[in-house]
Amino acid sequence: MLKGGRDGVAIVIDEQASIEAAVAELRAKLSEAGNFFRGAAFRLDAGRRRLTEAERDAISAIVREFGIELREPRELRENPSIGRFSAPAAGERHLSPALRLTTLGRGDEMPAEEPTLYLRRTLRSGQRVDYQGNVVIMGDVNAGAMVTCTGDIIVLGALRGLAHAGAEGNEKAIVMAFRLEPTQLRIAHHISRAPDEEGPRPQGPEIARVKNDMILIEAYTPSYAP
Amino acid sequence: MAGKAIVVTSGKGGVGKTTTVANLGTGLALMGRRVCMVDADIGLRNLDVVMGLENRIVYDLVDVVEGHCKLRNALIKDKRVENLFLLPAAQTREKDAITPQQMKEICEVLKEEFDYVLIDSPAGIEHGFRNAIAGADEALVVTTPEVSAVRDADRIIGMLEAHELGAPKLIINRIRPDMVRRGDMMDIEDVIEILAITLIGVVPDDQDVIVATNKGEPVVFDRRTRSGQAYHNIVRRLEGEDVPLMQLDNDGLVERLRRLFNRDARRRKAQ
Repeated sequence: MLKGGRDGVAIVIDEQASIEAAVAELRAKLSEAGNFFRGAAFRLDAGRRRLTEAERDAISAIVREFGIELREPRELRENPSIGRFSAPAAGERHLSPALRLTTLGRGDEMPAEEPTLYLRRTLRSGQRVDYQGNVVIMGDVNAGAMVTCTGDIIVLGALRGLAHAGAEGNEKAIVMAFRLEPTQLRIAHHISRAPDEEGPRPQGPEIARVKNDMILIEAYTPSYAP
Repeated sequence: MAGKAIVVTSGKGGVGKTTTVANLGTGLALMGRRVCMVDADIGLRNLDVVMGLENRIVYDLVDVVEGHCKLRNALIKDKRVENLFLLPAAQTREKDAITPQQMKEICEVLKEEFDYVLIDSPAGIEHGFRNAIAGADEALVVTTPEVSAVRDADRIIGMLEAHELGAPKLIINRIRPDMVRRGDMMDIEDVIEILAITLIGVVPDDQDVIVATNKGEPVVFDRRTRSGQAYHNIVRRLEGEDVPLMQLDNDGLVERLRRLFNRDARRRKAQ
């Protein structure tokens, strides 16, 4: 079974089914999807079943045939905070700015533990990327498409759709695009939308981040430091 | 030699898929190609009406699939052009009466007989759309210069890519040069910038199309009409010819320069 969730697509293996049946079903599902998932990273969820190294390798080999990476299993979160847009719930991974400064040295601002998803394609209307980490897209994100991730979003192209960076409450997350013209921007629990009147179009790369409890968009300059 | 199957699709309804299929099919047949048009819009068939062939239908696509007749019995020969055939949709059934696999098999058989198999897709992104694209080798996406139509076209292009029908070509239908000039309508460049696929033709909004459609006679027959000329140009591009885009405006160099200057001024003001 493939199951889309807040932190990407998960391969869910039925606890009761035989591993052979599950593997066959997975292969059928992926063949049906063709190249759609190429370049994606899937999570593996075997419920309470303990997979042996060999079983895990077998599944990993199948998804790799279709150009998909298997991410390390992570605990299923019961209480997704996306959709509520309230402050992150207690216990969520969320560093306060002060804590961040004391725990990380100046040069270590980039959270090294965050993985980055690199997509070399355009996201069109109706397509959606959810990722635990940063997302870099070489292409456009068109209106009607959606990118949600826990880290930064960088679009090497036009961002016309919806982008939600720092989706688990990271207010330090940024959204940057060569042409930042989103329908809606979300960073952590902050939301902003495009003005109703057509304003001047951005002339160069811009960066959005949270400042004084508001999402602020500025021209991007290479000297920008978080 | 096996021909190729091309699906004409759009996502949004009413942008001119059926008219496009009728005109391109007729145009290709007029150039001597063997063409079969397949109406995949089961339950809402139109292509037969636009072609003026409605009264000749005995069997349809669903009859073929269900084994009530042979494929050749369901094909209707066009009344004006040699080498042009129509496989009509069933009107009294629904989209799920056939499966993508069955559609694929029918297209395979037709491709042995014909140079072009043109498939008229229903609006929407559901079962009917999946049927329509199942047997296609290439896709033409039709849009009008409206925000909603372009948005749906974008969705459709994404779905075509997911089905490995990459690199679809774009037809912008019903463009009105006067409105574009006044800035009241998206221009070709705006649409291309968003959809980022190859443009194969632009068809101006033209009363002649409505007249022709109601008469059951594709406008491509009359090349004095602007739309007829536009369809003819698309046909030649499908055949691999390099035909420049038709000059849509009646205005001359001065007007075009003025527009260029205006756009430039707009950009500078925005900075």
